[in-house]
Amino acid sequence: MGTEKSSRTWTSRSLGSEFQHRIFYALISVAGRRGAYFALYFVVAWYVLLRPSVREKASFYLQRRFPSHRGWRRLWDTYCMSLELGKVLVDRAVLGILGPEKIHSVLTSEAQLRALLAEGKGLVLVMAHAGSWQLSMANLANLRASVSLLIHREPGDVDRHFFEHGRQTFAFRIIDPTGYMGGMLEMYQVLKAGEVLCIMGDRVMGGPGSHVGVNFLGGEIRVPISPYKLASSSGAPIAVIFPHKTGPDRFQVKLATVIRVPEHLGRRVEAFRPFAQAFSHALEEFVAEHPYQFFNFFDMWVESSDAAKNIHSSSHSGA
Amino acid sequence: MDTKTKLKHALADELNLPELKEATFDDDAPLFGQGLGLDSLDAVELVIVIQKHFGVEIKDMDESRSAFASINALAAYIDQRLAA
Repeated sequence: MGTEKSSRTWTSRSLGSEFQHRIFYALISVAGRRGAYFALYFVVAWYVLLRPSVREKASFYLQRRFPSHRGWRRLWDTYCMSLELGKVLVDRAVLGILGPEKIHSVLTSEAQLRALLAEGKGLVLVMAHAGSWQLSMANLANLRASVSLLIHREPGDVDRHFFEHGRQTFAFRIIDPTGYMGGMLEMYQVLKAGEVLCIMGDRVMGGPGSHVGVNFLGGEIRVPISPYKLASSSGAPIAVIFPHKTGPDRFQVKLATVIRVPEHLGRRVEAFRPFAQAFSHALEEFVAEHPYQFFNFFDMWVESSDAAKNIHSSSHSGA
Repeated sequence: MDTKTKLKHALADELNLPELKEATFDDDAPLFGQGLGLDSLDAVELVIVIQKHFGVEIKDMDESRSAFASINALAAYIDQRLAA
């Protein structure tokens, strides 16, 4: 985070070229979401069948989620997972290009989230690269509070976030995790002001002291402790939310669990493990229900990865 | 007790940094990275400790950048804010 050597094993850079992305953006403008989806079925098939790297990147998660699937079944799983990611990327472009009225998104437990915010200590929303977090961001306007989002923009990434299409105005602030102090001080000020802070809880950005190992799908993964550390420092509650696709143009943003971190737990990384594990458990329940809506296309598992040498690309961080 | 000594005691106790109480500690050493070894996650704790012990709230990122350079810089920053 900022001043430390990063131990991240992923990149958010898109697989496609800028030209390919522009074709899809044009397709959405001309033929809408359905036209883009139609093209997507063939594009995804091409990538899955002809690019071994795509199958390899998907396999890390799929072999954990579907350990008994081999051969054609694994290939089908890869296609379904990649297709869901493609649809989410199209949906978020639709949101940015055609406007929020083209996507129906429901924020469940809105009253509960408002109650958490009303405690006056800010609210940490921990999400994952599952479903479409960007659609949930659009929903958060309902909370009527300022929203800040910790997000890293990969240099050279050509895929646009929905708010970068320029057609819509979405009032949330971006905090860069590669900025000064990893954005920690900015994030703390957000919570001190009683506002909403969104952090992705499933990918590591900072140095060795910034993450902790937790169990996920039968193995150990590393997750950032910053959400839990900030909650402990500020007294803010944590709401774990996962948006998922429920229909072609429909999403539901579900409150998975609320995590309360005791105040002033100190500097010991281990103290935050139980709370990080609670997040991981909620994520396990999500992928059990929506197996193809999880988009970490890299080896998350500690024992099977060599973080320093083997950097795998995810198809996109923003899914 | 002067601000610097009080600051070192507060940080040593609250952030579990006993080396700060040693006479050999270099008060010009960087707080983050190679010096004292704090990391970005500790920055929030640092802000809280300063507010708790000195009543000084660090909100401005640019101010914190120079104040967090070393113990001497931080003590000077606190003195400056208390005098204002």
